[in-house]
Amino acid sequence: MKEFQFGKWFSVRLLSFVVVLVVCFLLDRLVQGSYSRFLFCLAGIYVTLAVSLNLINGITGQFSIGHAAFYQIGAYTGAVLAANKFSNLAATKPFLWLFLSVIFGAIAAGIAGFVVGLPSLRLRGDYLAVVTLGIGEIVTIIAKNQPVLGEAYGLSAVKIQSVFFVLVLAVICIAVSRNLLKTAHGLSFLAVREDEIASSAMGVNLTKIKVTAFVIGSCFAGAAGALYTHTKGFVSPTDFSMDVSFLILTMVVLGGTGSITGTTIAAVTLFVIPEWMRNIPYVQMGTPLGVGIGIIAAVVLLRKVQEKFHGSGSKRLGFNLGSIAVGGIVAFVMAKVLVMIPALQSMVNGQLFRMPVLAITLVVLMLLRPQGIFGHHEFSWSWVQKLLGKKPVQEAEVAV
Amino acid sequence: MAALDFTTLPQQLVNGFLLGAIYALVALGYTMVYGVLKLINFAHGEVFMLGSYGAMFASWMLGFGPGGNDASTGSWVTLLLMLLAAMLVSGSAGFLIERFAYRPIRNHPRIASLITAIGLSLLLQYGGQAFLLEGKKQAITSKVNPFTNDFVFDLKKPDVGKVQQAAALQPEVDTAQKLFDERLKTSEPGGVFNLTPDGDKLNKALAAMKEKQNALIKESNASAVSIHLPKGKLIMLVTTIGFMIGLWYLVMKTRMGRAMRAVSVDFNASSLMGINLNTVITFTFILGSVLAGAGAMMYSTFQSAPIDPFSGMAPGVKAFVAAVLGGIGNIPGAVLGAILMGIAENLVTWAGYSSYRDAIAFVILIAVLLFRPGGLLGSNKVEKV
Repeated sequence: MKEFQFGKWFSVRLLSFVVVLVVCFLLDRLVQGSYSRFLFCLAGIYVTLAVSLNLINGITGQFSIGHAAFYQIGAYTGAVLAANKFSNLAATKPFLWLFLSVIFGAIAAGIAGFVVGLPSLRLRGDYLAVVTLGIGEIVTIIAKNQPVLGEAYGLSAVKIQSVFFVLVLAVICIAVSRNLLKTAHGLSFLAVREDEIASSAMGVNLTKIKVTAFVIGSCFAGAAGALYTHTKGFVSPTDFSMDVSFLILTMVVLGGTGSITGTTIAAVTLFVIPEWMRNIPYVQMGTPLGVGIGIIAAVVLLRKVQEKFHGSGSKRLGFNLGSIAVGGIVAFVMAKVLVMIPALQSMVNGQLFRMPVLAITLVVLMLLRPQGIFGHHEFSWSWVQKLLGKKPVQEAEVAV
Repeated sequence: MAALDFTTLPQQLVNGFLLGAIYALVALGYTMVYGVLKLINFAHGEVFMLGSYGAMFASWMLGFGPGGNDASTGSWVTLLLMLLAAMLVSGSAGFLIERFAYRPIRNHPRIASLITAIGLSLLLQYGGQAFLLEGKKQAITSKVNPFTNDFVFDLKKPDVGKVQQAAALQPEVDTAQKLFDERLKTSEPGGVFNLTPDGDKLNKALAAMKEKQNALIKESNASAVSIHLPKGKLIMLVTTIGFMIGLWYLVMKTRMGRAMRAVSVDFNASSLMGINLNTVITFTFILGSVLAGAGAMMYSTFQSAPIDPFSGMAPGVKAFVAAVLGGIGNIPGAVLGAILMGIAENLVTWAGYSSYRDAIAFVILIAVLLFRPGGLLGSNKVEKV
C-alpha cells in the first residue's frame, strides 16, 4: 500500500479539472451553427440522463423505468422560474441564470426523487418498474392539465444554448458515478445490486443506499431537464413521454447495466442513430420487412453458435461474423424479393422506423447478450495497455 | 369542477361494472402468466391491440368495411365470427411471443425478460404504426351490432306532479303552434314573417309556452334516476361471465389446469413431477391471449373504442393494475380488481376529472403496492434465505 500523498492527489485532481473545463470550452467554441449546437447539447443531455439512470439501474440494481419524470420536473422547474420569478435575470445574465436553473432543477427533481423513492423503494424488481412507470405517466398527465404548466401546449423559455454547460454537467455526472464506485460507499451500492438480503445481513442500510442512489440520479436528471428547457427554448409534455424513459433505459441496457463507459457510448450512439434516421425518405414496405427477416435469421444463427459451439476464440468470432453475414445476405435478398409483391409496394415513411429500431435493439440484445455490450466492464488505462500488448500494472482496484 | 350529479351515479356504476368485466378478461392473462412464470408480460396490452385489429379486419371481410353496403346490419353470426377472429389473432400472437421471445431467455435473470417484454411492447406499437394501415385511428362500425335497444330500469320515477303539469300544458302549446302555423301559411311567400308585429307576437308566445313546458320536464327528469343498459352490453357481460366460468372449470377441474396450478406453486418441483413445463407455459400464454382477444373484440365493438397501434396501452395498463390490485397470480383477485378498476375509472369521470382518468390506474397501483403489496386477495410472502 502506497502512502497517500496529498500534494500529488490534489495536483492530479486540479489538472484534470482544468483540462475538462478547457476541453469543454474549446468544444463550445468549435461547434457552430444553431442546429448542430442543438444536437450536440441534446447528446450531452442524454449522456447525463443515461449515466444518472445507470447509477440507479446498473449500479444499485433498482429497476426504474420512469426516469423521464425527474427529467420533466427539472425542465418544468426551469421553465416556470424563468418565466415568472427570474425573467429579468434570464434576459440580462443568461449564463448566471443557466447555472442557477440547473441548481433549481436538480433540487426540485431531487426532492421529487426523495418523496417518490422513500416509499416505493421497498418494492422489488417488476413492481418498482411499474411504479416508476406510473410516476412518469402521472407527472406527464399533471403537466398536461395544469394551466400553470401550460397544459398540452407547454411553456416557453429563453433560449440559451450552451454546449459548455451541457458537457460540464455530463462530465460531473460521469465523475460522480465513477468516484462513487471507487469508495467504500460505492461498494455498498454494488452489494445492494448483487444481493439485498446478504448485504443487509452485512450491515448495509438498504433504504439509505437505495434512496441515496435514487436522489442522486434524479438530481442529475433534473439538472439535465433544466438545460433541456433552455436548449430547446420551450418544453411540452410530449417531450417527456414514456418513450423517452424507454430510450434512456435502452441506452443503459445496451451499454451494459453498471458500466459507465458503456452507458456513455450507448447514449451517444442511440442518440445519433435516430437523428440520422430522420433523413430516411419513404421506403417500400417490403424493404423493412426483409431487413426484419434478415435480423431474425442472424439472431437465430448467432444463438445457435452461442449454444452449440465452444471452440477457440478466433473460430467463434468467425462463426459469429459468418452468421451476421448470412443475416445481411438474407436481409438483402428478402428486401429485393418482397418488394416485388404488389401488396408490399406501398410507401412507408422511413421516420416511423426510429422507435422499432430501438425496440429491436432491446429484444435482440436480451436474446444475445443480456449483460449489455460492455457488461460490467469499464474503460481503464490498464485495459488499453493490455490491448497494446503491454503488461498491465497491477493496481489494487475495486472489482466492478 | 362541476357539482356532483348524484342522479347519474347509478348509471356510472353500471358502466364501470361493464367496463370492469372487459378489464377482467385482460387482467386474467396478466395474472395467469405471472402465476406460472413470475413475469409481467408488458406485451399483453399489444396482444389486446392485435386482437381488436383482428376483429376489425373480420368485420371488414364480412362487409362492414369502408365502402361497404350501408344498409346491412350485423347479426349474432357476425359478432361471433369477429370474436373468433380476434381470439385467433391474439392467441397466435401470444404463442409466437412466448415461443420466440420469452422461451429462449427463460433461464436468464428476470430483469432480462422484463426488458424483452418492454422491447416487444414497443416493437408491436411502433411496428404497428409503420405497417398497420399507417397507424391511423380506426373504429369498428356500430352497424355490426344489431342489439341496439336499451333496457331501462327506473330506480326513482320522475316527479308525477311535474309530469302532469307538463302534460297539462300540452293543449296550450298546441293552440299556440296552430295559430302560428296558420298565420305562417297566410303570410306572403318569401316575406319576413317574424318581423311583422303580429307574427312576432305569435312566435314569442309559442316560444314562451314551450320554454315553460321544457322547464317542467327538466325539473321532473332531474329528480328521476334510471339506468340504461344497452342489450349489446348485456350480451357482452353474459359472454364474459361465460368465459370466466369456462376458465374456472379449466383451471380447477382439468389435468392441464392442475398442472398450471402446480407450476405456479413451484416451478422446479412440478417439472420433477413429470409436468412438461413448455407445454404448460405455452398453454397459459395462449389461454391468456385468447381471453385478451375476446376482451379486445368486445371493447372495440360494444364500447366503441377506437383502434390504433397504441390503443392496447391504456387497457393493458389498467388490466395490469387490476391484477396487482386483486393480488397478482390470483385468478378471482384479478376479476375483483378489474371490476373495482372499471368503477373507479367511471367515478373519476363522473366527478369531473375525466382528463385524469388514465392517471387513476397508477394512483391506485401505487397506493395498493405501498399499503398492501400482496393485493386485496393475495398474501404477503416474506422472502426466506
